[in-house]
Amino acid sequence: MKVGQKYVLDKQAFLAVLDSLRRGAKLIGPTAGPDGDVIFREVESTSEFTHDYVNEFDPIKRFFIPHRQDLFRFQLDKMPKFEPLVDTSPQILFGIRSCDVKGILHWDKFFTGVYADNYYLAKRANTTIISVACNRPLDTCFCICCDGGPWLESGFDLQLSDFGDRYLIDVGSAKGVALLAKVKKGLVAATRQDLEHRKELMATCDSQMVPTAYVAKAIIQITNRRVREELWDEMGYECFSCGGCTHVCPVCTCYDVADYMETPTSGVRFRCWDSCQYSGFTREASGHNPREKAKERIKRRFYHKLSYAYVKLDGHHGCVGCGRCITVCEAIGMLDLPAVVKRLRREGQPAPEEQGA
Amino acid sequence: MDNLYLPQLAVIDQIVDETPDTKTFTLHFLDQKHNKAFAFKPGQFVEVSVFGKGEAPFGLCSNPLRKGNFRITVRATGTVTNAMHQAKVGDVFGVRGPFGNGFPFEEVMGYDILIVAGGIGLPPLRSLIEPIFDKRKKFGNFIILYGARTPSDRVYKDALAEWAARDDVQLLQTVDRGDESWTGNVGVVTTLFEKIKVDPQRTFAFTCGPPIMIRFVIQDLLAMGFADDHIISTLERYMKCGVGKCGHCAIGHKYICVDGPVFSWQQIKVLPER
Ligand SMILES: Cc1cc2nc3c(=O)[nH]c(=O)nc-3n(C[C@H](O)[C@H](O)[C@H](O)COP(=O)(O)OP(=O)(O)OC[C@H]3O[C@@H](n4cnc5c(N)ncnc54)[C@H](O)[C@@H]3O)c2cc1C
Ligand code: SF4
Ligand code: SF4
Ligand code: FES
Repeated sequence: MKVGQKYVLDKQAFLAVLDSLRRGAKLIGPTAGPDGDVIFREVESTSEFTHDYVNEFDPIKRFFIPHRQDLFRFQLDKMPKFEPLVDTSPQILFGIRSCDVKGILHWDKFFTGVYADNYYLAKRANTTIISVACNRPLDTCFCICCDGGPWLESGFDLQLSDFGDRYLIDVGSAKGVALLAKVKKGLVAATRQDLEHRKELMATCDSQMVPTAYVAKAIIQITNRRVREELWDEMGYECFSCGGCTHVCPVCTCYDVADYMETPTSGVRFRCWDSCQYSGFTREASGHNPREKAKERIKRRFYHKLSYAYVKLDGHHGCVGCGRCITVCEAIGMLDLPAVVKRLRREGQPAPEEQGA
Repeated sequence: MDNLYLPQLAVIDQIVDETPDTKTFTLHFLDQKHNKAFAFKPGQFVEVSVFGKGEAPFGLCSNPLRKGNFRITVRATGTVTNAMHQAKVGDVFGVRGPFGNGFPFEEVMGYDILIVAGGIGLPPLRSLIEPIFDKRKKFGNFIILYGARTPSDRVYKDALAEWAARDDVQLLQTVDRGDESWTGNVGVVTTLFEKIKVDPQRTFAFTCGPPIMIRFVIQDLLAMGFADDHIISTLERYMKCGVGKCGHCAIGHKYICVDGPVFSWQQIKVLPER
């Protein structure tokens, strides 16, 4: 068994393997919530999973850096003592969608480098990612515009394609190999027909995508600062600064750090998700705030998502096409990424050389 | 694996009252090995913790060529800084760092140096001024301009007096508002420019202070004929992590904590915002 190989296995047989692994690791996957929502959470058994879902409203990034993560505990004394709280417990993420895997790949790059974030990396090293390719999109999905899905070439440990009663399994890593080695019987190499079948499923899924986001033009407009100032003014006026778009975005990473006293002499330092769309995000102790106005913050968000400087730095633009910001944005239909991309494309200033003589 | 967020304990050796709201702390690391290994460049900063209150960034203001301890000058403005001001000699802070790129020091040897500091902007520049004195022969003309709100708002009054007495540096000071004891210049720091002679071609200018001051200083330096890459400034931003992860300090695609806080005007002027 090797990375890159493809197999077919009966669905129940695959899920039985996951059940057998549950004692050694948290098993996390899609479950049906009370109002028909899908919620990714830890389960006791794979029988709690729902397979009838497209994606969850919340991004999967929370299983790597939760909304609030304790960094270390301290004890106040003449000499304070502290103890790091790095979570290395193993987890298996089952059923996450391609776009979220792409988000994680961005995080992998972002949280490494000269200053590697050991909290993220410890969690990441102990996570097995089993993604499931999408057979149908939500009406907000546009991953095909962003290289976010609906299926992936790499980035997963195992990728499943749902064939009804069977899975087509792509092996993406050594972790994936190890997991699949636990399958006792029934695993067969995928045939050409199986691969053809997946191709058809993916083509059908592609053809059902509704929102379109031609990011290339938006990248050009922003990079060359051809966006009319009044357009940012309008967007700033429309934005509620709720920060929803950044919280649901699988690509966004920002956080805040603070101390919390649990007793008069002990406490924790934690970090929690933060948003560049909040007015306090850049406010300095002097009271000076370089991004006081919503307009400046919106500009910041899309500069980060779409400028070529960031494309160069990160190797890709800042969107995987999950469509969550469409669902969550309070300024309905005006400030989600596809909407802004469309506005930048239509309403941006033409290049000086395009303005005619 | 190193933990980015765990501070080292540092003991306070000395506290000096600089102004009614500003103190200078001299510190050394409790861990001797760490204390020995601790080295920094002028212009770099540390993240200082008061456990239970939080963490905040401060420019290192001591001489990087002198080892054994280090100094920070802190103005009380909020939670962490007020808690720091409550501390006594022998108390400990948590310290992470040094972070940031720092001022070019070796690179500007052989040039004339002009330093323009405003208020609490002098501390980070002091970490450049002192090593220049140590290697004074390697630099040309040396001018320091310092502006503060009032005479008592000036930090390092002893050091200023010492520098004023030296003949290998020209120190000019000004205050926005004078008092009966003040016989020097009154006016913003840029009013000192007409009192000095510089050759922009052979000079590197370093500036640090409130954003509005920096803006006017740069404007005047450009008018005097300074090239964009001969104007070196610091950018300040609200910071949390200090290591390019939390996102707070980003301007354009630069993270001030790791790509800065020191930039040339050439680098700053192309940022999409300031
Ligand atoms: C690279 C860098 C280097 C720096 N170097 C230095 C330096 O060398 N020296 C230095 O002094 N600073 C320096 N600063 C600024 C310093 O980091 C801030 O002053 C510090 O973070 C403030 O933290 P705080 O928790 O005390 O303030 P916060 O609690 O965050 O203050 C928040 C706000 O509340 C207000 N506030 C809160 N409590 C009070 C109160 N009791 N009274 C009045 N107002 C209040 C403050 O005015 C402020 O607007 C530097 C900053 C950076 C980014
Ligand atoms: S910008 Fe919107 S659509 Fe793109 S990845 Fe983020 S939340 Fe999803
Ligand atoms: S954006 Fe693409 S990968 Fe993500 S849930 Fe929708 S169809 Fe699937
Ligand atoms: S302070 Fe966190 S990214 Fe710069």
